[in-house]
Amino acid sequence: MIEVEGLYYSYSNDDNFAVKDVSFKVAEGEIFGFLGPSGAGKSTTQGILTGLLQLQKGNASVAGYDIKNISRKMFNKIGMSFEQSNVYSKMTAKENLSFYSKLFDVETRDPMELINLVGLGGKENMRTGEFSKGMKHRLTFARSMINNPSMWFLDEPTTGLDPAIAADIKDIIKEHNNKGVTVFLTTHNMYIADELCDRVAFIINGEIRLIDSPKNLKLQYGKKLVEVEYGQDGNVKKETFSTILQEDKDLLNKIIADKEILTMHTKEATLEEIFIKVTGRGLA
Amino acid sequence: MKLLSSFKKELILASRGFYFYVELIFALVILVVLLFAIPQNFSSTSTEYLHFNLPQEGREIFTNNILENDLDGESEIVEIEAGGKTFNAELIVTDESEIYIVDSEEAVRMLADSEKVIGAVIELNNNNQLHYKYYLQGYESTRFKNLISILFNESTDVLEERINNQDVRPLSTDYEPLSDRENTIPPLVAFSGSLMGMFIMASYIFLDKKEGVIKAYAVTASSVWQYLMSKIFVVLLTSVVSGFIIVMPVMGFRINYGLLLLLLLTTGFFASSLGLLVASFYKNLTNAFGVIYLLLIIMMVPSIAYFIPGWDPFWIKIIPSYPLLQGFKEIILPNGDTIYPLIVSAGFLAVGIILFAITNIRFKKTLSV
Repeated sequence: MIEVEGLYYSYSNDDNFAVKDVSFKVAEGEIFGFLGPSGAGKSTTQGILTGLLQLQKGNASVAGYDIKNISRKMFNKIGMSFEQSNVYSKMTAKENLSFYSKLFDVETRDPMELINLVGLGGKENMRTGEFSKGMKHRLTFARSMINNPSMWFLDEPTTGLDPAIAADIKDIIKEHNNKGVTVFLTTHNMYIADELCDRVAFIINGEIRLIDSPKNLKLQYGKKLVEVEYGQDGNVKKETFSTILQEDKDLLNKIIADKEILTMHTKEATLEEIFIKVTGRGLA
Repeated sequence: MKLLSSFKKELILASRGFYFYVELIFALVILVVLLFAIPQNFSSTSTEYLHFNLPQEGREIFTNNILENDLDGESEIVEIEAGGKTFNAELIVTDESEIYIVDSEEAVRMLADSEKVIGAVIELNNNNQLHYKYYLQGYESTRFKNLISILFNESTDVLEERINNQDVRPLSTDYEPLSDRENTIPPLVAFSGSLMGMFIMASYIFLDKKEGVIKAYAVTASSVWQYLMSKIFVVLLTSVVSGFIIVMPVMGFRINYGLLLLLLLTTGFFASSLGLLVASFYKNLTNAFGVIYLLLIIMMVPSIAYFIPGWDPFWIKIIPSYPLLQGFKEIILPNGDTIYPLIVSAGFLAVGIILFAITNIRFKKTLSV
């Protein structure tokens, strides 16, 4: 669905590249996470793939369309949810979606259906200038679905949303992905990436450092240990066991059988820990 | 269909915004000024203050001579104030002047000083010859001062004969001049109807940039030119409405409104394309204000030449607002040239298309800005 090869981009048209030699492929039906801190080159790459920035060097195709000569028809297939909400503040939520629905050559979704889907039902006739930041973000997210996209670009889709709404948004993403929609997710939130993505790419200083599935990364970079807290003679004891050594496995089984287990955790690494390990810097 | 949808959206936004009403209210204010503040024709009568320091007989001769030109043949006794004092005066009103004959030189001097007009004292010198003393304001030209001097060194009969023998031939015999009120319409329509479009257009774009909606539009199947053109349509609509608000009540049905509509549309297209081009280089109105202000000042220079027909250098004619003003003038002239506004319209349309094409390329390249 997306093929990128040797992508470079410089805002100042010199050797000061915001994106350097970026190459990756995203298969149809995949959720691909593009992870990195602010200024890493995530939005620049997404900007090139969506035609907001002109391709300077390299090759890229999206949904079968060459990015070097973008056809307006490509946008019938793609949807884009921006990190910064960008809706007409003087128009109501319904007017906003109705207007955008007329800008595509394909069958579009009912604005009210989308408004209800993102939990804005009852607010459809309110001007978006009166919306909270979170409500605007949800409307921007809803708008990205108006043309039933098969390629969906999502830039920080849960930023600024309360946990319940963020969970709903994640469910919507999963639901659409289950129907075959390919998702290119740009985020610095490792939890949402871990939960949603089939594969993730770590990008820092404009370069991709690693591409793999979250599961493989955890296996590769996590510690194979289990930490157990259990009660013994009225006291709380805490021990760590290897999940590889047979001696430790036997001991763990014995504790599980004989003692009262209070807590038990595997010591697998989080994506954030792996990111720090791989790139040498955090995501803030 | 996409263009129509964008146009409808722009109309909704404009109707809920500020600038749309500013332009229309501005047009209404201009209309009120035109109808109630600007007279049909500006008064060209001058005011003069005279004192005859002469014997009664001489005073009567001079007064009666002037009185012959009075509109009703009778003078009026009035009181006039200057420097905190009140003076009695005999007022004689002619076609060209309001002449106040006062009874002291002090009155002439004070009135000339306070009213900033010319005063004169006619008296006898030691040889019993007439002596003329003028109180000028200091800004009179040498030519004017020479004229005053020659009046008393040359026989008035000779002067009159020479004036009467001058051969004056009008270049055009079917030329009907505009009234002063009508003559002020072209600059007002040009700036409120057409050139204001440049500023309004830039404002609309900067509002969209602020809200980030240009990016959202850019990832739809609609072209950038449709987005830009829909905005131009709204600016053209307000230009035409405000232009007609100013022109119709003053000119009635005496002019060719088809031509006016054409010129408003083509010049509005040019101005809004220029506004788009300027907006494509800047992030907000504050950054672009200097350039917009400079362009408006340059565009206003030809209006000086418009009101001073004797000052018409070549470089002024290449400023776009020059043909714009002349085009509007030809439309409202009773016997105006209909070809000229057509040529001007074609020129503005052509330049507008070029500017629009450049702007379209600029916006495609700078959508993320």
